[in-house]
Amino acid sequence: MSALRTMLVLVFAGLGGTALAQGVTLPEYHFVELDNGAVFILTEKRDVPLIGVTAKIRGGAVTDSNDKSGLSRLFAEMLEKGAGERDAGSFAEAVDSVGARLSAHSGLESITISGEFLARDADLLVELLADMLRTPILSKAEFAKLRDRNADLLRAAKDGDLRSLTSVYGNAWLFGEHPYGNPIGGDESSLEGLRHDDLLDHYQDFVGADRLVVSLVGDFDATEMINQLTAAFSDWRRAAQPLPEFDAPAPEQGRRVLLVDKPGATQTYFWVGNVGVAYGYGQRAELDIANTLFGGRFTSLLVDEMRTKAGLTYGVRSVLVRPSLPGSFAIVSYTKTESTVVALDLALELLTRLRVEGFDDELITSGKNYILGQFPPRLETASQLASQFAALQAAGLDESYINDYGAAIAGAASEDIHAVISSAYPSPDDLVFVIIGDAELIRDDIAKYGPVTEMAITEPRFRPQP
Amino acid sequence: MAWFAEMRRRNVFKVALLYAISSWLIVWFVGAIQSDVVLPNWTETFTYFVLIAGFPIALWFAWTYEFTPSGLRKADEVDQTQSIVYKTGQKLNSAMAVLVVLGVLAVFGQRLLPKFEFLVPGIPEGAAPVSDKAPAEIRSLTLSNGLEIVVWPDHDIPNVAMYTYVRAGGRNEYPGITGLAHFFEHLMFLGTENLEPGEFDRISEAAGGRINGSTSPDVTIYRDWFPKSALETIFQLEADRFQNLELYADAVQSEREVVYSERRSSVDNNNFQKLHEQVQATAFVAHPYQFPVIGWPSDIESWTEEDLHRFYRTYYAPNNRTVVIVGDVTTEEVFGLAEKHFAPIPAQPQPEQVRTVEPEQVGARRVVVKAPAQAPLLHVAFHSGTASDPQTLRMSLLLDILTAGESSRLHRRLVEDEGLALSVGAWVDEGFDPGLTYFYLTLPPGGDLEGAERRLLEELALVASEGVSEQELTKARNILLAEYWRDLATISGKTGALGDFEVFHGDYEWLFNRPADAEAITTESLRQVAAEVFVENNMTVGALVAPDDEGVE
Repeated sequence: MSALRTMLVLVFAGLGGTALAQGVTLPEYHFVELDNGAVFILTEKRDVPLIGVTAKIRGGAVTDSNDKSGLSRLFAEMLEKGAGERDAGSFAEAVDSVGARLSAHSGLESITISGEFLARDADLLVELLADMLRTPILSKAEFAKLRDRNADLLRAAKDGDLRSLTSVYGNAWLFGEHPYGNPIGGDESSLEGLRHDDLLDHYQDFVGADRLVVSLVGDFDATEMINQLTAAFSDWRRAAQPLPEFDAPAPEQGRRVLLVDKPGATQTYFWVGNVGVAYGYGQRAELDIANTLFGGRFTSLLVDEMRTKAGLTYGVRSVLVRPSLPGSFAIVSYTKTESTVVALDLALELLTRLRVEGFDDELITSGKNYILGQFPPRLETASQLASQFAALQAAGLDESYINDYGAAIAGAASEDIHAVISSAYPSPDDLVFVIIGDAELIRDDIAKYGPVTEMAITEPRFRPQP
Repeated sequence: MAWFAEMRRRNVFKVALLYAISSWLIVWFVGAIQSDVVLPNWTETFTYFVLIAGFPIALWFAWTYEFTPSGLRKADEVDQTQSIVYKTGQKLNSAMAVLVVLGVLAVFGQRLLPKFEFLVPGIPEGAAPVSDKAPAEIRSLTLSNGLEIVVWPDHDIPNVAMYTYVRAGGRNEYPGITGLAHFFEHLMFLGTENLEPGEFDRISEAAGGRINGSTSPDVTIYRDWFPKSALETIFQLEADRFQNLELYADAVQSEREVVYSERRSSVDNNNFQKLHEQVQATAFVAHPYQFPVIGWPSDIESWTEEDLHRFYRTYYAPNNRTVVIVGDVTTEEVFGLAEKHFAPIPAQPQPEQVRTVEPEQVGARRVVVKAPAQAPLLHVAFHSGTASDPQTLRMSLLLDILTAGESSRLHRRLVEDEGLALSVGAWVDEGFDPGLTYFYLTLPPGGDLEGAERRLLEELALVASEGVSEQELTKARNILLAEYWRDLATISGKTGALGDFEVFHGDYEWLFNRPADAEAITTESLRQVAAEVFVENNMTVGALVAPDDEGVE
């Protein structure tokens, strides 16, 4: 062992002793709630001449019925297809011509409009945002075009890198008919069934001032901006229907396997998981530390064993989706077809090791340092802050969610982290598998994981037909 | 007792004492210098070792030999009556007195020893930017071994971004070693003479840091993002892997598998990349830009250890690298650490220049890839310029007009109005050597490849003949301006922007001229660049279709 090595090890032994107590505090902000329920959150930030904006409408994909999955996403995208006096072309021109970005997407539990404008175009920002939400054109022709194109894009995505689709299959297979199982962007078959009237109904029923939060951060005068936003939204209507309520999904008992056949694939993609936790989960800091160490960073247990040591994959992660009710936990990876079983076996073994052995104090400190060290860049820009403020408000959380996080991470006790590991991660006996690959080559070998249901990747949906 | 007296007579005790005093002075001196900047890390340990090993030798020497008027003789052979050991003893006393005085002076007044200071250079200040458009706090410095460093202190968040640009990429490869530059991006995390595979990442992450790397046809970039508390740790880690990389056979083999896995998901199972690889290999017949950065499968299997060593020695030398650091640092601490950890790494002969110049293309080329696909793909590429060629900025603005956003010409016409494509995009290569201007279209399932190609080429011809409008140019300038500020909103955006300009344009200060450069561009110059580049003889067309599709020739 050379001198340098000794020295490095000494330096790190020293560092390893304590977590670096460094949190992030959200800046002061203006909070305005109108009579109709619309909420504005604003903060001035003038390091660069940009304004970041995030507007959220609570609702999102969970408002889609099972046979109409993708409606909320399609509605969100239609907001870019013309509003106010501008048709689709001139709306896009208005945004692009000033170098701005403004786009709308739907997530599981909200529709999000996010954008970034040069400071000199603040008036245009408010105008376009208000037009999108209050007077979208929702043209029938644009609707049909977008619907068909989205279905085609899904077909094209199935030709490409399947990493982005693996979790869509995964959630659909885990949650089944529960709204959390609906593919947010829909599938080829559900998109085909959507009608223009569905779009108009969705707008009336699930979009309105009482669901709206707008957050703006950047180079502007807050008082003036509040006046502009108030003028733009104070007389907007409320949504006609209440948000749907549904039960928390129950964790899966036992195992079941979905095999998605992609003939000719040289690689197998897999998603192995179960029901996890919600964003309100009380021990978020402890869980974040555990998940960082299990599969959330490069030296995590999963990456270290599956990629660095075994060379089985280029990437493996442990993913927690945390909506308002318990979402999913999954181990997600891919490997060459021949090593499908080796990789899956190892993933299961590591899940067992996590639950049995946990992590020693040195690793826990390392995990804390990593989370704390990587936290500040996530709230560095106007857009990031706007997005964070809007997300907190839409979820009904306050700023302590961010401001107290650093201290919670630094103070998390080893025994609490281990308690969280036993309760939040599923037993390897209770798992749902999605395996995408060349079925002919892997069908027999994967039967050992549980009862197998098979479908073709070209089927126009993400779960097998009942 | 006679033996003891003899030891005394032969000045053994005085030599021992003198040795001890000298050693103490040397240790102090080395420590004093090392705590500043000039010596490598192992110097102190090495010094202890030499001094301890030398002690018995000195004693043995004092006992065995004796100074005489006729020189050094074995003590046993010297006639006792002629012995001058007493005089030697006096000299030793004087030497000890001098050393003690020196030592006292040294310890109680380091500043009283100006004669040492030339050995202990102060921390260099670096050069300030020349242009008044560049932020005045930026400093740049070239170390004696040729390593370039640019620092931009920015205290918004308590973090630091550090990017190391290595001037090595696919263009430095040849048949047999394709993919090697990219493989190094993996190897550099796999252990050194001092750290075992995986320890680099473990140490970095335990200190709160995150890392990644990327390889292009021109450069390999290593990125560190970390809290400021980890600054020296990261310097140590980077200095170590850039001079002590160790190729552990097991790790190298397992990493080949990882690269294969990367190739499988990013090329073999990805139709876009599958077609891009073929178009690139068709557009270039001579220049190494024809090689896929990830490497041809046969080469991934067969790089030899000698290939790896040669590549590392040649391209990873300090004189072939640029380091950019932005964040919660001072230039003084960064340059101090650079002198301490980076400066001792020896320079190497400059790598050979890439000699091959792609000959002029004299006719359109076509390539067809058959692969399982629901959606056909169409790629169209034209030879264009280098990163620093003024033509490239013009092309970049022109491509914004053609493909950026839903209001762009090609999106409106091919996607929205005519439904020929699901999406259309484009980029212009910005490398050391002339690259491609590259259009890519995804067609709807069963789409019309010929029609899409014809309409694309018509639109390009239209730009070459009619040019663009003043409003379109203003839009492209605004897009560029917004991108510019977006880069400057984060420490990592600043780091990448400074690095790209320093490496590809030869001076980071050009970055800050970007808005003015765009302002100076005219609609006529955009028409000219279109007319020069969008020429049929200069074109390579690639199509990806399903095996049973007969619709393409």
